[in-house]
Amino acid sequence: MNPALEKLFQRRVLFVAGKGGVGKTTVACALAMIATQLGKRVLLTEVDGAGRAAYLLGIEPAAVGLPRSAGPSLSVMSIEGTAALAEYLQIILPVKRVLQAVFASRIYRYFVAAAPGLKELLTMGKIWHEAERVDEGSSNRLWDLVIVDAPPTGHSLQYLRMPYAAQQAFGSGLVGRESKRIVDLLVDPDMTAVNLVTTAEEMPVNETVEMYQQIHGELHMPLGVLFVNRMHHAAFEATKLNMLERRLARVHDARGRAVATEVLNRGREDLGWTEINLRYVERLAAEIAMPRIEIPFVFAEEFGLREVHGIAADIAAESVAASRRETMHGRT
Amino acid sequence: MGGLDGLLRRHRVVICAGSGGVGKTTTAASLALRGALTGRRTIVLTIDPAKRLANALGMTDVGSTVCAVKAAGLQPGMLSALMLDQKGAWDELVERHAPSAEIRARILSNHFYQHLSQSFAGSYEYMAIEQLCELHASGAYDLIVVDTPPTRHALDFLEAPQRIADFLDRGVVKWFIRPYFSAGWATLRFMNRTVGFLFRRLEEATGISALVEVSDFFTSMSGLFDAFEPRVHRVYELLRSRETCFVLVATPEEQVLTEAEYFCRRVRELEMPLRAVVFNRVHREMPVGRQAVAADEVMRLLVRLLGNEVAAAKLADNFSRYEMVGRGDGLRMEAFRRLLPKGVSVIEVPNFNSDIHSVAELQAMHPFLFAA
Repeated sequence: MNPALEKLFQRRVLFVAGKGGVGKTTVACALAMIATQLGKRVLLTEVDGAGRAAYLLGIEPAAVGLPRSAGPSLSVMSIEGTAALAEYLQIILPVKRVLQAVFASRIYRYFVAAAPGLKELLTMGKIWHEAERVDEGSSNRLWDLVIVDAPPTGHSLQYLRMPYAAQQAFGSGLVGRESKRIVDLLVDPDMTAVNLVTTAEEMPVNETVEMYQQIHGELHMPLGVLFVNRMHHAAFEATKLNMLERRLARVHDARGRAVATEVLNRGREDLGWTEINLRYVERLAAEIAMPRIEIPFVFAEEFGLREVHGIAADIAAESVAASRRETMHGRT
Repeated sequence: MGGLDGLLRRHRVVICAGSGGVGKTTTAASLALRGALTGRRTIVLTIDPAKRLANALGMTDVGSTVCAVKAAGLQPGMLSALMLDQKGAWDELVERHAPSAEIRARILSNHFYQHLSQSFAGSYEYMAIEQLCELHASGAYDLIVVDTPPTRHALDFLEAPQRIADFLDRGVVKWFIRPYFSAGWATLRFMNRTVGFLFRRLEEATGISALVEVSDFFTSMSGLFDAFEPRVHRVYELLRSRETCFVLVATPEEQVLTEAEYFCRRVRELEMPLRAVVFNRVHREMPVGRQAVAADEVMRLLVRLLGNEVAAAKLADNFSRYEMVGRGDGLRMEAFRRLLPKGVSVIEVPNFNSDIHSVAELQAMHPFLFAA
C-alpha cells in the first residue's frame, strides 16, 4: 500500500473535511472500509450529520451519540454537541428526573447557546472520548481508529479551532485542562490527521486551498491525504472527436445521425471535464503540499454501497500512482 | 411556458433554496443576470461565507456593501451584488436601533452578543431575510434574487425567523432582565435548588459566566426587542406574498433528492410559494425513437465512421457510461416530479463541459433556464 495511506491508518483519529457536496461522506466510508480490511476496529462518526454515512453503508441511522454496527468491525455514530453535553451531565448527575428538568428548562437552552463554543468543544471532547474509550471487561480499546466525517468547511474550522480558543480562554479551569489535552492530541502527528476532500473544479478548489492554509498555517494540525474526487480520464483524444464530427455528414439516416451526435457530445463532455480536472489538479499540486489520491468519477445508475466499495478499491489502487508521482518529485 | 422568464416577470423576490454543492449560487446569479438583461434593476443577495458568488461573478471581492456588476452586454447599474456579512448585519441592527452610543457600545462588547451574532444557529439566515426585507422596502430594485446559505437542510432558512423570535421571546427576555438575575446565580437557588446547583457547577467547571452575560445582553437590548415580533411577522408576510417565489435547486442525486423532497413538503406546510425546481448537472439518456440504443448498433456505426476499432470502442464505451448515468438521473427525476404539486415548473440544466465562473458562462445556462 501507498506509504502515505499506510501512515494514515496508523493514526487514531482521521478527520475528513471539505466543501459541501464533494463526497466527504463517501471518502470517509471508503476509508473506514479499507481500515476494516486492514483488521482495524473502526468507528465512523458523523458530526451534525444527516445520517448520510449510515445510508451509504446500507443501515438505519442510529440515535445521536450511540454506535450502530455496520459490519463485523465497523460502527457508525452521529455526534452532536448538545447531546454530548447531555451525556456529560449524565455522568456528573445521575438522577434522571432532575436531569430531565434541567434539559427542559429554558435556562439550560440559554446556557448552551450562550457559552461560546461549548457545543463545538464538547463535540471534539466526545470524539476523543470515543478514541480512547476502553472496553470495561477486557480493558482493551474499543476502537483502533475513529474516522470523522466533518461538517462543511466553515463549520469544520469552527470545530477544529474551538479547543485552542478554549485553552486560551480558560487557562487554569477544568475546561482549560481538558482543552489542552484535546489540543495536544490534535497537533500530535502520531494521533491525528486532517484529510481534505475536493473535486478538481474552480469553487471547491478555492475553498480547499483556503482551508489548507488555515489548518496548516494557522492551526498547525498534522495533515493526511488530499482526496481529489470525481476525476474524469477521457481515454480518447480530441482528434478522434474532430474526425467523428467531420464525418457526421456521411450518416444519412436520422437515427444514426442522432446517435453519432450524442456519442460526439458525450465525448466532448468527458474530454472537457478531463481538461478541467487536470488543470485544477495542477493548481492543487502547486498550492497544497499534501500527498494526493485521485478518485475516478463513478459512472453508475445509482450510487450506493457497491459504489462505495468500488471507491475504496480505487483509493487503494490509485494511491500507487500518487506515491509514484511523489517519488518522482523527490528525485527532481 | 417559456421556462422561468414568466416567473421572473411575475415576482419581485426569487429565493433559491437547496442543499450545499448543487449549484445554488450559480443558478441564483444566472437568474439575476437574466433579470438585468431583460431591463429590470436587479440585485443578487448571497450569504455565503466562502465568497462563491464573487467567484461566480468574476469579482475578486464582495463586501457588505452593494457592488455593481460590470459585464459586456450589461447596462451599467442594472445588476448589483451584495454579500451579507452576518456579523456586520447584526451590528447594523444594533447601530440602527440602540437608543444611545453608550448602550450601543455596551451591546457590541457583550460576549453573549458577539457569540450570538457569530454562531447562533439561524442568526445568519435571519439576517439574510432582514436584509431582504430592507432591499425590498427600499424600492431600488425590480428584482431581488436570494441565494440561501449552504445549510444541510435548506429549511433552516425558512424557520430561522421563527426560531430567533422564540429565542428572543419577550416573556423570557423580561425574566432575564429582572434585576436579581444580573446579580448572579445566588438567587437562582431559590427557584430550583438542584438546577441552580448544577448550573453553578457548570459555570465553575467551564469558567464561563454565561448567564450574567445573557442577562446583561438582554438588559441592554430590551428596547430593541419590542419591535422584533412585528418584524418577524413582516418577514413571513413577505415570504408568503404573491411577489415572492421559491426556486428549489437540486441535482439528480439520491441524497440531494431526499432532502429536496422534505423541503417541498415543509414549504407547503409553511404555505410558501414553491414555483420551480431547477435540476443542475443533469445527464439524460438519449431519446431516439422507441427503441433503445444498443451497444452493437453504436459500435457498428462508429467503426464505419472512424475506420478504427480501438477508437470506436473507446467512444462507444464512454457513450454507454453516460447513458447509464442518464438512465439513473431520468428515473430519479421522474420519481421526484411525481411528488410535485401542479404548477411547479421543472427545469433541467445539463452538465456542462466547463466550469461556470464568469458572467459569460452564467449566460450559457440561459437557453436551458429560459427555453421556450
